[in-house]
Amino acid sequence: MTKYVIRRFLGLLPTLFIIITISFFIIRVAPGGPFSREKALPKQILENIEKKYHLDEPLIVQYGRYLLDILRGDLGPSFRYKDHDVNYYILNALPDSMVLGLMSLCLALLLGISTGIVSATRQNSVLDYSSMAVAVIGISIPLFVVGPVLMYIFAIRLDLLPTSGWIMADGSWKTAIMPVATLTLPYFAYLARLSRASILETLRSDYVRTARAKGLSPSVIMFKHILKGALLPVVSYLGPAFANIVTGSIVVETIFRVPGLGIFFIQSAINRDYTLIMGTVIVYSVILLIMNFIVDIAYGFMDPRISYT
Amino acid sequence: MADTAIKGKSVKETQLPLDQFGEPIKGVSLWLDAWRRLKKNRMALIGLSIVILYSIIALLAPVLPIHSYKHQVLDHQYLPPSFTKTAGQLLYERQEALFQQAAKDAGFEAMPAEYVQALEIFREQLATETQEFDGVAVKVHERRYYLGTDGLGRDLLSRIIYGSQVSIAIGLIGTLTAVMIGLIIGSLAGYIGGTFDYIAMRVVDVMYGLPYMLLVIIFMAIFGRNIINLFVCLALVSWLTVSRVVRGQMISLKNSEFVQAARVVGASPGRIIFRHLVPNTLGVVVIFATLQIPNFILLESFLSYLGLGVQAPMASWGSLVRDGVDAVSIYPWMLFFPALAMTIFLFSMNFLGDGLRDALDPQSKNVL
Repeated sequence: MTKYVIRRFLGLLPTLFIIITISFFIIRVAPGGPFSREKALPKQILENIEKKYHLDEPLIVQYGRYLLDILRGDLGPSFRYKDHDVNYYILNALPDSMVLGLMSLCLALLLGISTGIVSATRQNSVLDYSSMAVAVIGISIPLFVVGPVLMYIFAIRLDLLPTSGWIMADGSWKTAIMPVATLTLPYFAYLARLSRASILETLRSDYVRTARAKGLSPSVIMFKHILKGALLPVVSYLGPAFANIVTGSIVVETIFRVPGLGIFFIQSAINRDYTLIMGTVIVYSVILLIMNFIVDIAYGFMDPRISYT
Repeated sequence: MADTAIKGKSVKETQLPLDQFGEPIKGVSLWLDAWRRLKKNRMALIGLSIVILYSIIALLAPVLPIHSYKHQVLDHQYLPPSFTKTAGQLLYERQEALFQQAAKDAGFEAMPAEYVQALEIFREQLATETQEFDGVAVKVHERRYYLGTDGLGRDLLSRIIYGSQVSIAIGLIGTLTAVMIGLIIGSLAGYIGGTFDYIAMRVVDVMYGLPYMLLVIIFMAIFGRNIINLFVCLALVSWLTVSRVVRGQMISLKNSEFVQAARVVGASPGRIIFRHLVPNTLGVVVIFATLQIPNFILLESFLSYLGLGVQAPMASWGSLVRDGVDAVSIYPWMLFFPALAMTIFLFSMNFLGDGLRDALDPQSKNVL
């Protein structure tokens, strides 16, 4: 087991290396650069700037330099934002996105799985149909509609909640309600559908019939027998979902003015801010790889049929 | 044979094996069986009908009696939806209300004569004024806008219908392309195995590890921003899941008897893959495709929200919703109708996809 964990963990490093390499070169292939503006800079100035950021060197030299930099933990200076380097922007924005993401994910898990249990145990009841209808709505409405509509109702019409602001900036928990609610909706919807389908399938299996035949109470069967097997798909969904949600949702963060990481993913790519793009890619893929690794290991503990030998 | 004559059944049917009730067992193909089960699922059928209805409307858009989606009537900005009143009447009422307010603010009891006169001139002007579109003079103020207009005086109903063309096309073409790529790579990787499989799956791993928005933005920058490239870009980042699913199916099927039989009679690998193996994975792929179409439409709307989607004057549901979001507090219909149109379609697609999943589930074969 330990050997498997170590081997699996070391296997992450080449994947990460390939991701870094591919994204480094693919963003250089794209036309336009960090300093190409609508009004072109004078040639001499452009040359000087490019020299400062080592953009005049051959690509392979820049690549080597970049690899050495990130080995030291330095993601380099941003090409667009002059005040700070990439480390600063990411370290400042990531905690906000993480808090927002983790709150939403926990809420989505709690609500989604309990909805899944209720729907599956009362299959084809009104409760089942209505909660699944809500779940389909949840995956059918874009977040950028849910956000403004919530804001219009609760902030502008009813004046109950502030339109923007963020719990980590001003400490008011009220500012967290709408962003968290908005971000929770699609994850809740997906988790509710996923856990319902999975529980329904497990309900038909032989070991559940055996447990029932033994005369165990329904709640013991549900929580000790069914959920353990039925939550496996949920666990494997959690890996990518965690990586996506904690690195920030650009929609929710721009609508509710949460100073998170989401905006950098889009803005840096549009600006061709090479180092900031690489920074966001590295943060995202490190979290994703680690989460998938944890999910793999957790599978071994949850499913006795899987053995790592 | 005499027996068949008595029962009144054809010779051919009696040659079939009989079940326990003495009735011939009819072979049921996967698709016929699935269709029979789908027909029992009311929500899926409603979803299917709505999807067909949307597709018909989108296809017929050029011949439907609706206004142009791109002609701007700048006098008609932000007209509210109305079934009964023409644009001229709405404009007149708007002007009348303004004058009444002005008269009240100035402290007049009734409207002064010059206001009444100005209103009369305005009414005349509304009745006669024409605008030329493509060389044809149109009495624009006699138009009715059932769903209102947008900030440039364009008919929202027509923009939603033409937008549905773009959105549904993106959903269909994007999904088809993604499924084709995923099917080919997944089936080759699963069938050939070895180094090819290893490399293909590492490529999939790496592409999973990249934020897809980065790929879309970079691809769009490399290949240029137009609607065809939008389809292709979305497809290029979405084939990963299909390829994994198909590969898994291939691996589990490639050593089964029917494949060995095909190999024994000398079928080429290409024939085995595409005539024998791929059809067996289609059930999974169809389910994936129906559930992927709404995802593509959402993805396109997300890109439009970021300003990376379709270019004006073309519209998609996403771009309309985005315009609506900006105007929601004053002109709520601009958000409400496009969002409603889009949500109903996505809702139907999702129910259809769920229904197909249940119908194509091999465990429920011949169970009605």
